[in-house]
Amino acid sequence: MRKFWSTLAIAGAMAAFAGSGMAAEKTVVLGISDALSGGGAVYGVPQKRAIDLAIEEINSAGGFKVGNDTVKFDTIAYDDKADPTEATNVARKLIDRDGVKFLLGYCCSASTGAVASFIGREDVIMLVGTAGARAITAAGNRNVFRTRPPGDYTGAAAGAFIASQGVKKLGVLAVRDNTLFVQYREEMLKAFKAAGGEVVAVETFGGHDRDMTAQLTKLRGLQPDALFISGYVEQAAFSHRQAHELGIGVPRYGFSGGSPEQFLKVATNEQMEGAWDLLSIEFNAEVLGPVAQAFEQRFKARYGEPPSPNSAFAYDQVYVLRDALQAAGTTTDLKKIREAIANLPVPKEALLKYLPIDGKMFDGKGQAYIANGAFQWENGAWRFRTELPSDPRGYSEYLKTIRN
Amino acid sequence: MMRHTFLAAAIVAAIAFPMLVTVNYFVHLAVLSMVFMIVAQSVNLIQGYTGYVSIAQGGFMGIGAYASALLSVDAGWSVWASIAVSPVIAGLVALVVGYPSLRVKGHYFAIVTMALNMVVFIVLVNWIPVTGGEGGYPGVPMPEPIGFGDWAIEIDSRQAMYYVVLAALLLVMAVMAAIVRSRIGRVLLAIRQNETFAEAAGIAAWKYKLFAFSAAGALAGFAGALYAHYMGFLSPTPFSVDASLNAILAVILGGSGTLSGPLVGGLLTVLLPEMLRVAEVFRLIIYGLLLVVVMIFLPHGLVPALVGRVAKWREARDTGASPARNKP
Amino acid sequence: MVDLLQQVFNGLVTGSIYTLIALGLTTIFGILGIAHFAHGSVAMFGGYLTFFLMTSVGLSLVPAMVVAMVAGAALGVVIERLAYYPVRMAPPINAFIIALGLTLVIEKANLLMFGVDQVIIPTPYTRVFDIGGVTFPELRVYVLAIAAILVAGMTWMVQRTWMGMAIRAVAQNRATAILMGVDVNRVSMFVFALSSALGVAAGVLVGALYAVAPGVSGGLVIKGFAVLILGGLGSIPGAIIGGIVLGVTESFSSAFVSSGYKDVISFLLMIAVLLVRPEGLMRRGTR
Repeated sequence: MRKFWSTLAIAGAMAAFAGSGMAAEKTVVLGISDALSGGGAVYGVPQKRAIDLAIEEINSAGGFKVGNDTVKFDTIAYDDKADPTEATNVARKLIDRDGVKFLLGYCCSASTGAVASFIGREDVIMLVGTAGARAITAAGNRNVFRTRPPGDYTGAAAGAFIASQGVKKLGVLAVRDNTLFVQYREEMLKAFKAAGGEVVAVETFGGHDRDMTAQLTKLRGLQPDALFISGYVEQAAFSHRQAHELGIGVPRYGFSGGSPEQFLKVATNEQMEGAWDLLSIEFNAEVLGPVAQAFEQRFKARYGEPPSPNSAFAYDQVYVLRDALQAAGTTTDLKKIREAIANLPVPKEALLKYLPIDGKMFDGKGQAYIANGAFQWENGAWRFRTELPSDPRGYSEYLKTIRN
Repeated sequence: MMRHTFLAAAIVAAIAFPMLVTVNYFVHLAVLSMVFMIVAQSVNLIQGYTGYVSIAQGGFMGIGAYASALLSVDAGWSVWASIAVSPVIAGLVALVVGYPSLRVKGHYFAIVTMALNMVVFIVLVNWIPVTGGEGGYPGVPMPEPIGFGDWAIEIDSRQAMYYVVLAALLLVMAVMAAIVRSRIGRVLLAIRQNETFAEAAGIAAWKYKLFAFSAAGALAGFAGALYAHYMGFLSPTPFSVDASLNAILAVILGGSGTLSGPLVGGLLTVLLPEMLRVAEVFRLIIYGLLLVVVMIFLPHGLVPALVGRVAKWREARDTGASPARNKP
Repeated sequence: MVDLLQQVFNGLVTGSIYTLIALGLTTIFGILGIAHFAHGSVAMFGGYLTFFLMTSVGLSLVPAMVVAMVAGAALGVVIERLAYYPVRMAPPINAFIIALGLTLVIEKANLLMFGVDQVIIPTPYTRVFDIGGVTFPELRVYVLAIAAILVAGMTWMVQRTWMGMAIRAVAQNRATAILMGVDVNRVSMFVFALSSALGVAAGVLVGALYAVAPGVSGGLVIKGFAVLILGGLGSIPGAIIGGIVLGVTESFSSAFVSSGYKDVISFLLMIAVLLVRPEGLMRRGTR
């Protein structure tokens, strides 16, 4: 009899204790879907590393407070190979099997586009990185947010820039079917032609090609004032290398992103010298200041090689999520967290110089913006030459009117 | 008798499965397994029964998938009509392509089919205005509800699609059984054993081979159409040469030349990646080794070997002594 | 005109690599009747190994390549003994499936050993020769030269040495060759060793010009078979002509049709030859 009452008393005490909202230690699991192998790995692997680094920083500082709880992050990562079917399977695994609520990473447009096309129906939040196809945010899914601006936002500025450099006849060598690159190219060519330029030919190559000599030979024969080369980093590198081997001496403008180390695995310094990359100002320690330089040191110390320019798009995702969780005061109420992200100012640990609209990092469609810039290869590094015109507010208005 | 009760039990279990299982993901795996079993049956028809290795079944699956997607989205057909017509399209392609290809035999035929699969894949990747290329083709709809007015059954969930695919699989099994048990099936087996001999006996082998190849193409196309409307999204990757090789693996493992072999094989090839959560690389090495080892030691596949083992055990139990003769 | 010559030169270089691969395939297929699909993966193995020897062990290009070729030869013998020998009496379909299985094993073992990244074999040859507007990058000239030397060496071996005679005997009539005292086992192993060594050489050349990476082997093998079909089974001159035809056709298709569909054109060519003139462009009548 006595045992019964004492057990009841203890149970009652425990219940009261639990109900008092005692502070707990929570782990929020983040799902990472990125290209960890194949052609997209040059973008995906650095992204994953950046996310891991950010999480290590947050966790080793003791986590962060959400309400009364102390929260730390953990990850489950899968290789989506930049392939749409694979990415869909990965998303299914993360959402259905692993029960994850936050998806991060997403370096490449094809894979990300596939997931974005159905993610609106799921109860998760998707943070997109380097994948630049416009439809990903233009579709207007409430649970999709992207740190990287769409390709055509930069393309127009690039076209005007090339014309301003005195180029009258342009030869284009571009990857055929990647939405990001196609959208960039179409805007670039529109702006170039509007400025009075003439396009002598547009040659294309496939997503897995390594031999562009036939196309470059044809372009060489048409004698343009300059070439424009766009594609994934390794393919751009092969193109530059083969252009040099074919004796093509005219300036080579381009769009690919990628760190010098990634280019030098394929082409030599001599073959890359003088090449241009016209893109949004991704991570570049030289340009972005002390916070960025500190990040570069930490990344190098942790992984043995410097971060790639696009890795910042992923790094910043983690701090966006952290700030949003704190602002929302919950780790489980996705509606509140979504609202928090939508209203978020730029996190102070963010590496890139975002251009907030009305103080908010993301616009109505979940899109963030940074400035555009022109970089040129000089002696083993990409040197910042000049800023290109960027109009986030204007573009955001335009984005509101379209669905893809 | 044993076989029929076993079969009935299996069907009942298959019907009950989605209702018993709580994790959505397993239903997803089950649907993919069944789709793959149909592809495996198509390989079984041309390879297991006719003896011609075709590395093109992945490509035919792709033709069926994209045909159905295009018909239902771009041409506005009903999904049921698209799923019904796509196998016919795939079968026709197989017919046209098979007529000249079947003039060569053995290794050469296999190489030709591999090249065919690659051609299909390249077209899927490069014909961007129609297929969307590597970026993919989104928005493939699920089938429309069946029935009338208040009695209509909605097909808008994974569970519903499971039953559609299950019905399709049972249909395919019935077709396969019919073919295999008919005269056509016997002729195919004769061709597999010794084609020259069969021709000497007066059989116009080319007609039967062409039938098998076209039917196999149609079956694979059927699987593709189901896949398209289940996934809702298509990209060329699942229809590459690798997919064809996977299908061959499924049939070899499960047992070629048997009706149930491809079912086992199909299930294994979809489930193994989930069960063995080791890195994909190890898993694929094991697949390759399995192929080699099975071909050397168990050339007829797992199911026949197991069935043989069970038969021997039964014989030993019944006679009380080890069997005097081996049954092949 | 300059462009035309340039495209022809580019095509010759790619074609020479296809010829090297095809030589290995055609010898194995012609002598032993085995469609050795795993040949491409062996070639990649050699490429990866060369890169590893150069970067981690510090060998220079030529010694690394030689070591890799020897390793490739050894691998070829192992494959022959362990995988193909046990099924030499079984229906050919078994050997075929085994070839497919081997391809998986070697391809994924390469991934395990050497990682998922593409690997580019570094060479010091970056000069470019310009003759009348047609540019000849030094590396490509050497690739062509090495391929030519290896092909010539193979031809000499087959025509002039005892082993070459044994190989030709087995190719003509296996049963008679056995009766005449030829050790078919030895011939088998030698053929695999030699073919694999040639395949590795091709892999190294591909790695220097482009890259050694997952996925490259499949394209190489199927092109190799295309050359084999174009040139005729078991014919060395056929492999040479077939390789040139395929390489140059690809180059022109890429430039004047589309680089996406260039492979389609190559395959259609192969299928057409197979159906219209199955003995190949070079062979006269059936053998």
